[in-house]
Amino acid sequence: MKQIIALLVLAMLAGCASMGVEPWERDVLARADMQLTADPLEAATDDHIYFSKEATSGGRGFGGGGCGCN
Amino acid sequence: MSSKNPDRSVAAALASATCALLGTTAAAPVDAQEEPKWDFNTSILYYGEDEDRVQDLSFKSLSRRLFTDDRVLILGLTVDTLTGATPSGAIRQGGPQTFTRPSGNAAYTEAGGKLPLDDTFRDTRVSIAANWQQPAGDNGLVNVGFSASKEYDYLHTGLNARYAHDFNKRNTTVSSGIAYARDTIEAVGGAPVPLTPMLDVGDLSNRRGDDDKDVLDVVLGVSQVINRDLLVQANYSFSRQDGYLNNPYKVLSLVDSVTGDTLSRQPAPQGGPDGQYLFENRPDQRTQHGLYTQAKYNMGGKVVDVSYRYVTDDWDIDSHTLDLRYRWPLGDASYLEPHMRYYTQTKAEFYQVSLDAGESLPAFASPDYRLGNFDGLTAGLKYGWKTRNDNDMSVRVEWYTQSGDVPAGQLIGNQLSRDNFPDLNALIVQFSYRFSR
Repeated sequence: MKQIIALLVLAMLAGCASMGVEPWERDVLARADMQLTADPLEAATDDHIYFSKEATSGGRGFGGGGCGCN
Repeated sequence: MSSKNPDRSVAAALASATCALLGTTAAAPVDAQEEPKWDFNTSILYYGEDEDRVQDLSFKSLSRRLFTDDRVLILGLTVDTLTGATPSGAIRQGGPQTFTRPSGNAAYTEAGGKLPLDDTFRDTRVSIAANWQQPAGDNGLVNVGFSASKEYDYLHTGLNARYAHDFNKRNTTVSSGIAYARDTIEAVGGAPVPLTPMLDVGDLSNRRGDDDKDVLDVVLGVSQVINRDLLVQANYSFSRQDGYLNNPYKVLSLVDSVTGDTLSRQPAPQGGPDGQYLFENRPDQRTQHGLYTQAKYNMGGKVVDVSYRYVTDDWDIDSHTLDLRYRWPLGDASYLEPHMRYYTQTKAEFYQVSLDAGESLPAFASPDYRLGNFDGLTAGLKYGWKTRNDNDMSVRVEWYTQSGDVPAGQLIGNQLSRDNFPDLNALIVQFSYRFSR
């Protein structure tokens, strides 16, 4: 099992090696609005709201929570 | 200068307020050439549900202190003020219903035909978090931290650590994270013995002390730059909860097998329930697996942010979440961002709207609507702009609605003609201000 996972990861990394940009082509990707979590405070707010109102949480990061949320 | 720049005085006031709450000292104003050291992200949030249900007014801040060599200290603070009412779990009846409050020292009555809500819901929650992030070698990034929160009946403490490693000229990032939390539930009046009846006012014989739960989260992720305009991410997440997973305040109505109406009881002279209600019970373990994928795409300055999440667990709850944001610049200094989110989940195997008195008690049962079959829809719009001092402000308004149903096979007699899963409608308004000092 471990070897299969290792092989998959290696294959993925090899596949990924052909994608991407050179360091001088990062102008767009460096913009604040192109970050995966562009607004961390808003993301944390939403995670907490939906944690309180729905049965599943997490995914983007840790499950959040830490509240009684009655 | 300051009189011409109200923005600056607001920034100064917010900075000192945040620092006072965090117990730190704000850096002195920086020279023009010097890099800002603190980045403050602050917001005021209003969250309000209709029908006098939960209302939350919240102050949040996320502050980053930058040090040399890309080392960063991140401090988070949230203060929530909660009021309103929350469903007790009991079903509607034609006539009024009387319940003992969670504290056990008073009773309250809900009018006939209405969904029973417990209106003593009032709490202040303070949550803090601190993380330290620094490079590890040429391509690694380490982040460790802790979190804690306290409300009247709940204490959370947690530790977390994350490591991310870049490959392929930083076009590929592989990350792994682990978080462990230990929470204590200090239920008002003491947590009830599961599946025992709600008792008369002053009778705490089926209450016990505090309970704990442990939560272990693991997240494994990979993000990949596809080209100059496209970035994608995929995460696998695992979560395991052990311990007291009940909601100590939720009760199930014990109902007649034919009419579906709540069985009555005679309350004591000092007050108590006039119907038969049993406190819920959930398994003491839950294991959840999730897959999260996200893509960010730049289309000539406009940014599409789309994500999909699938989560499944051993309580039989499966959920799908689709989230879409579209950031649309209006000139150089402002933008509009519409947001749509669709969520759907299947019910927990032990979700039950009521308990049939003609059948033996199940081992587990909960009437919590959050464990039921429902869809959630969010629609919102955010407007953001740069201030004269190059700080960021934004306002967003969102509507969240939940609509669900109880499986027809669970409904008995008169329950068939009642709305057993009323919609939830909430308004979310958030004002955010981000600035550097």
